Amino acid sequence: MKEMDVQGFKALALQCRFELSDEEAQDIKNEFDILISQMRLLDKIDTTGTEPMIYPFETVSHFLREDVVEDVLVISEVLKNAPKEKNGFFVTQKVVI
Amino acid sequence: MNYEIVIGIEIHCELKTKTKMFSSAPVSVNMQPNTCVNEIDLGHPGTLPSLNKEAVRLSLMACMALNCEIDPLIKFDRKNYYYSDLPKGFQITQQFYPIGKNGYIDIPTDNGIKHIRINRLHMEEDTAKQYHSGDETWIDFNRAGTPLVEIVSEADIRSAHEAMIYVEKLRNILVYLDVTDGKMEEGSLRCDINISLREVGTEAFGVKTEIKNLNSISNIEKAIQAEVIRQTELLESNQVVEQATRRYDDVQKTTILMRKKEGSIDYKYFPEPNITPVLIDSEWLKSIRDNLPELPNHREKRYMDAGLNAYDAGQLIQNKALSDFFDQLIKDTSYVKLAANWCLSDILANFSQKQLLDKSYDLKYTEMAQMINALGKQEISSKQAKDIFVELLKGKDYHLTVKSLNIEQVSDHSVLEKMVEEILNENEQSILDYHNGKDRALGFLMGQIMKKSKGQANPVITNQLLLDGLMKRKP
Amino acid sequence: MDIKSLIKSTSVEKRVEDAVNRSHSVQNALNAMVSFIDPKDQLEALGQLSKNLPFYGVPVILKDLVNMKDTRTTGSSGILDNYISPYDATITKKLKEAGAIIIGKSSCDTFGMGGTNMTAWTGPVHNPYDLSRMSGGSSGGSAVLVASGVVPMAIGTDTGDSIRKPASFNNIVGLKPTYGRISRYGVIPYASSLDHVGVFTRNVKDAALSLEVLSGRDDKDMTSSFHPVEKYSELLTGSLMGKKIGIIQNVVDSIKNPETLNQFNDLCHKLEEKGADIKLIHLNEDLMHAFLPTYYIIANAEATANHSNLDSLRFGVLKEGKTMDESMILSRTAGFGKLLKKRFVIGSYALFTENQEEVFRKAQKVRRLIVEDIKRVLDDVDVIMAPASSQGAPKFDDAATDLLSSEYLIAENYMALANFSGYPSITVPMGYVEGLPVGVNLTAYAFEETKLLDIAYGIECTTGIVDIIKEVTQ
Repeated sequence: MKEMDVQGFKALALQCRFELSDEEAQDIKNEFDILISQMRLLDKIDTTGTEPMIYPFETVSHFLREDVVEDVLVISEVLKNAPKEKNGFFVTQKVVI
Repeated sequence: MNYEIVIGIEIHCELKTKTKMFSSAPVSVNMQPNTCVNEIDLGHPGTLPSLNKEAVRLSLMACMALNCEIDPLIKFDRKNYYYSDLPKGFQITQQFYPIGKNGYIDIPTDNGIKHIRINRLHMEEDTAKQYHSGDETWIDFNRAGTPLVEIVSEADIRSAHEAMIYVEKLRNILVYLDVTDGKMEEGSLRCDINISLREVGTEAFGVKTEIKNLNSISNIEKAIQAEVIRQTELLESNQVVEQATRRYDDVQKTTILMRKKEGSIDYKYFPEPNITPVLIDSEWLKSIRDNLPELPNHREKRYMDAGLNAYDAGQLIQNKALSDFFDQLIKDTSYVKLAANWCLSDILANFSQKQLLDKSYDLKYTEMAQMINALGKQEISSKQAKDIFVELLKGKDYHLTVKSLNIEQVSDHSVLEKMVEEILNENEQSILDYHNGKDRALGFLMGQIMKKSKGQANPVITNQLLLDGLMKRKP
Repeated sequence: MDIKSLIKSTSVEKRVEDAVNRSHSVQNALNAMVSFIDPKDQLEALGQLSKNLPFYGVPVILKDLVNMKDTRTTGSSGILDNYISPYDATITKKLKEAGAIIIGKSSCDTFGMGGTNMTAWTGPVHNPYDLSRMSGGSSGGSAVLVASGVVPMAIGTDTGDSIRKPASFNNIVGLKPTYGRISRYGVIPYASSLDHVGVFTRNVKDAALSLEVLSGRDDKDMTSSFHPVEKYSELLTGSLMGKKIGIIQNVVDSIKNPETLNQFNDLCHKLEEKGADIKLIHLNEDLMHAFLPTYYIIANAEATANHSNLDSLRFGVLKEGKTMDESMILSRTAGFGKLLKKRFVIGSYALFTENQEEVFRKAQKVRRLIVEDIKRVLDDVDVIMAPASSQGAPKFDDAATDLLSSEYLIAENYMALANFSGYPSITVPMGYVEGLPVGVNLTAYAFEETKLLDIAYGIECTTGIVDIIKEVTQ
């Protein structure tokens, strides 16, 4: 497990596209220590040979959707919630590569 | 220093489905922005993916044609990153269990057939299209969610030319399967080249750069050649090649830096919880395999078995629409070589690629086949054929055209005999020349008969009658 | 009275008007509603529908995670505060088709991520039994609006216990059916592999009726089940004769409150008198201690990825920056609460490729062992049972708002077993502890809703605590 400090949490938050104040990051760091001790409870459990459970039910499906056009939103509905739009396009500030 | 070029190629190919990979909104080409989307494609809160059966079918076909091992249990994963063209903030793809792997295609090289291995073929969804304008970026989500297959080769390619042939062949296979339009200029087939150099004889890979946004097959070769020169110059002057993404500028004829590769992004791949694994029915799999369209290699062999030489066969199959035209034509004529020539020259000269694809022409296959038959039997001359063809292009009937152009061929023996006699009588010297071994005299005499008959004398019969006539007048 | 009787004995206009009026009159005290919906259009559309529909003209409420076209669907968040749904969730469609009249969107912990309803953007939701106490969460708004008599049914979601815990605190029925029983299409997710849609009602019959209306395969939700939908409301007998009920010893042992234990023991005796076969079962104690971290890791990891679409580009409250990235960061920072950010950080941590094996995948492996253990005990009994909470609703000041603390007892977090496994689970009222309602929780095997509901009905008949409306004192 990766070691984390306040700067580490701030960097992680930025990776998720939001910012933490120093106070918030410290708060998380404190609770993180509790989390680590919680995760140690998981370490107590022997999972050798156990596969991760991704879905509650593992019966395989056979369903595939037929390739038929059904649901389209009219342009007014598409743009209804757009914070910024022009000529039918969604607009954002320049994307810096 | 001798450097070996090491190339791996990633191809993204848009599948020809009616709807998106995970939603029932239509796939679009050149539609008004944001008119081919629903709440799923826009990544609205609460939406869930629903897997497109046709996308799966086309992907399976591609796997089969590329000789891949198929995993019949379809699983998806999330590739997580933030970008304005990625509505959900993750792409649904197949990271851990691609639908196909360990495939290959064989390509012709100067040193014989080369086996290029394909590492994987997997399904994923496309992103939105962005347009940058000054301080703003404009986004159209019509393309978002379009079904894609990504085909990744091993780093088996060793030259710019091989790379071009690989992409050409691969693209052609996918077009023959009708799984894609394969139009690089329109973006339905995209090609990323990973290229590095290493000293000949070493095993370790050099630092690679990625070349993206290539919009034509020919640019693939040019871009690689330019990049090889650039990397060689760096290495020769003891500098390092930096990992980066580059694009090809076909005016400057060099590759240009787009962005440096800063460390690797952690995509935090994990299995998509909203799509439970789907097991492909083995009956369906078998029926897809049994009904796979004819592949370019098979068609090429079929053409050669029918009598075409390797070059002509190869030329024809390069363009599926043309090859389909040829197949229609040879239903009614067995003069395959002639048919091939006409296709490769006159048809290509008179029809655009779009017309060939849409079959939007007035010319009728049966009528053209009749013309070719006549040409093959030498009932008409090449010049006459060209004139007839002009009319056939308008949709006219062969026989009516022949009549209207007065291209009646004279095949009547008595008429021709009379003509032969007349010409022989007028050309005593030529008779003597012929019997003295001057073969050109025969050609001259034939020419005279053709002139006299205004090109309408049946050349085969005439030739025979002339020879007979000459024998009779042996001095 | 139950919904069937309500339909028979009142006019559509009256029952809808009463509901709307009451929803407004309790708002100051409870703060349970995010959006009030004018039922005018729905009432008009009702004219085209058959009067025999199961929810004909019945007022209901949706948790504000559920999309309803042309209404605000905020997820009780800041970033979606201005979001107007362009589409209906599948359950919204089903409710409309059943004649239901949706009169509002209720408050919850932001995006369903919490157990107190104190993280809602519109502020905490109050418990009608004691306004200084929390409703519980995350479906707190829906719970109190049913408990206070505003509507006879409200939709909730349950990822760890978010229907079944608030039901316990509010003296009502809270049903979480089998995973995939009800479509999740159009429901803002928390954790996709743990999320369930469910209902609050004031009696088991109504829960069964609601289940009939909401259940069924939806091709838009690939995880939804093809299992046939039974007429659950018609299969209730209430007979407890021979029903095998397994008491989860681990939970009972971890409850400190003697009154709760007394109530529970009392109930067990009464059930035995009615012919139930009560036995003690034990789940693996180490696994039970692992419930909370397993839940947090899986839930927060999935949630972080699920909410990556909230970038204020196509919808949501935008705080503009100089670049696209800056806009995303400003909008998300302003639109997420402190607690939400914390959970996303933890979720993201678990998904780091270098951590995934040790953290995320480890939790997923432990999940499998937990589910195997639950299945083991359910092989021998019809349902497993325990008190739904160790006591009544906590006061706001006492709230362990979101501590990942080892103070959480097994008693407060065991109900996640029904989310790990996807098995159906229901809370029904049990009695009063220190004057506050406490419920009892039952879990059955996958798709055995009929059995589960029947036993719950039997318990309801035994306790006699049914159709209780708590009038709200301002």
